Amino acid sequence: MLNTHDLEKRWLRYKIKSYIPHFIITLSLLVIGIIVINFTSTTGALKEQKQVLATETTLVQKPITQELSAQKDIITREPQRVANTPQQELHFSKNNAKVQLSPSLDFMKKMQHSSHLYYNTREAQEPIIVKPKKQPNKRPKKRIMIEQEIEEVVIQEPIVVVQKKKIQINRQNTQNDIFEIIKRFKKNNNPALSLFVAKKYYELEDYHQAYNYALITNGIDKNIESSWLIFAKSLYKLDKKAKAIKTLKEYINFSHSSGARLLLNEMKAGKFR
Amino acid sequence: MSSIYINSKDVFLDTVNAKDYIQLDRVSTIYQSLKDSIKKPLKMILLYGRPGTGKSMFLTKLYKDLSSSQDVFLYQTPILDENEFYKTLAQDIFTTKYAGELNFTQFMKIVNSQERDTIPVVLLDEAQLYSEVLMEKIRLISDTRTVKFVITLHKTEKEDLIAKEHFQTRIWESIELENASNAELKIYIQKKLMKANCFDSANMFTPKSVSTIYRITNGNYRDTNKLLYTLFDLYATYEKNHQTQSTNQISSKIIEMAAIHTGLIDA
Repeated sequence: MLNTHDLEKRWLRYKIKSYIPHFIITLSLLVIGIIVINFTSTTGALKEQKQVLATETTLVQKPITQELSAQKDIITREPQRVANTPQQELHFSKNNAKVQLSPSLDFMKKMQHSSHLYYNTREAQEPIIVKPKKQPNKRPKKRIMIEQEIEEVVIQEPIVVVQKKKIQINRQNTQNDIFEIIKRFKKNNNPALSLFVAKKYYELEDYHQAYNYALITNGIDKNIESSWLIFAKSLYKLDKKAKAIKTLKEYINFSHSSGARLLLNEMKAGKFR
Repeated sequence: MSSIYINSKDVFLDTVNAKDYIQLDRVSTIYQSLKDSIKKPLKMILLYGRPGTGKSMFLTKLYKDLSSSQDVFLYQTPILDENEFYKTLAQDIFTTKYAGELNFTQFMKIVNSQERDTIPVVLLDEAQLYSEVLMEKIRLISDTRTVKFVITLHKTEKEDLIAKEHFQTRIWESIELENASNAELKIYIQKKLMKANCFDSANMFTPKSVSTIYRITNGNYRDTNKLLYTLFDLYATYEKNHQTQSTNQISSKIIEMAAIHTGLIDA
C-alpha cells in the first residue's frame, strides 16, 4: 500500500523545483527584452531627433545663404526683414546658430576694413538683439528642451547703413602742385611734406631741389631714412659720387640700415642708375 | 474494473521468464543472429549490454528454444567455487557424479574422454562475477571444442575482459544488447499488457505518456518494469481510496510520482 499523500507532496516539490530554472530563464529573458526594447527605443528616438535636426538645418541654411549672397557687398537690412528673423530662429539648433553667426562675423571684419565710417554709423545705431520667440506646444518635449537651449544664444546682427563713397585720387605731378605742398610745409614745418617734396623733385629729375628738401627734412628729423637715401641719390646724380658714398657710410655707422647698405653697394659697384 | 490495475501491475513484476519474452523487431533480429551463431563451430559467444537491457531474458529464451533440440545448460546464478563449478558441469553435461573434490585436471580428463555427436551449449549468466582464473579455465575448456559457452556480462566488465587479447581471439561472436527506443518502448509496454489481456490499460498509454516514461527510464527494460509496476500500484491505491483518476490516458503526474517512489527521479 503506497502513501499517495506523501508521494503527491514530494511530486509537488519536484514540480516546483523543476519549474524554477524555466522561471528564471523566462524572467531573465523578459528583463533582457525590456532592456533591449528600451535601448532601441531611446536610440531610435535619438536617431529620429538627429534626422529631424539635420533636415531642419538644411531647410534653414538655404534662406541664410541666399540672404548672404544677396547682401554680398554690404548688408542693408530693412526693419521688416528683422521682424521676420525670429520666426526662422525658432527652428535653430546649436549647429544652426553657428551657421548663421559665421557669415555675420565675416561681415563685421569686412566692415572694419572698409572704412571708419562704418564704426561711426555703427555707434550711432544700437545693435539689434534678436531673441527667438517660444513656439507653441506642437513639438515633443525633447525638441522643446533643445529649443530652450537655443534661446540662450543671442544672435547679434547689427543693421548698418553704409553709404559707399568713391574716393578719387588724381595724381598731380605738376610744379604748381609741388608749390602748394611747399606752402603747406612752410606753414606747419612737417618733415613728411618736405620729404614728399624731395621725392617729387627726385622723380622729376630736379636733383638740386631734391637734395635741398632732403637736407631740410634731415635737418628736422635725422632718423628719417628716406631723407638720407634721397640726399645720397641726389648727390650721386649730381656727379658727387664720393660725397654720396661718404654720406651713406656715415648714416650706416649710426643707423646700421640695410637699405642704405644696399644702396651703398650699388653705388660702389657703379650699378646705381 | 477493480482488478485491471492489479493485473496490469503483475505484468511488470521483475522476473526472468521466457514466456514473458516480448518480440520486438530489433530484438528478434539480434536473437536470430544469436541462434545462428550457436549453429556455427564457435568456441565462445559473448552477449553484453548495460544492466536491464534483457540479457538474462535473452539467455532464458535461448535456453527454452534450444533445450528441445540439443543439450543446453543454463546457469543463471554464477557458481563461484571452482571445484563446485567443475562438479556441476561434469554432472550436468557428462552425467558423471563425483563425491569428492574435482579439480581442473580431472575435469579436463572427463571432457577429453567424452565422445558426443552434438556439442553441448553452456549458458553462463552474470559472467562478470566469475573470477579471472576461472574465466581462463573456461577458455581452456572451450578450446577443446567439446563444450560451447555463451556468456553474458555487463558492458563495463566486457570492456575489461575483451581488452585481454588472448580472450578476444577466442570470442568468435559478440552481441550487444541496447535499451529500447521510444517507439520500441511503446510496443513493449502494450504487447506486455495485451499478452496478459489488459487491453484497457494498454490503451491508456498514449505517445505522450510513453515519451514521459522514456524520458525517465531511457528505454531500460528493467527500469520500465519497475516504474510501471509502481504506476499501476498507485492507480490501484487511488482506486481503493475512491480517489478517481482519469482512465483515458496515463497521467504524467502519476508517472512522475511512481518515478519518485522508485528513485528514478530524485525529488
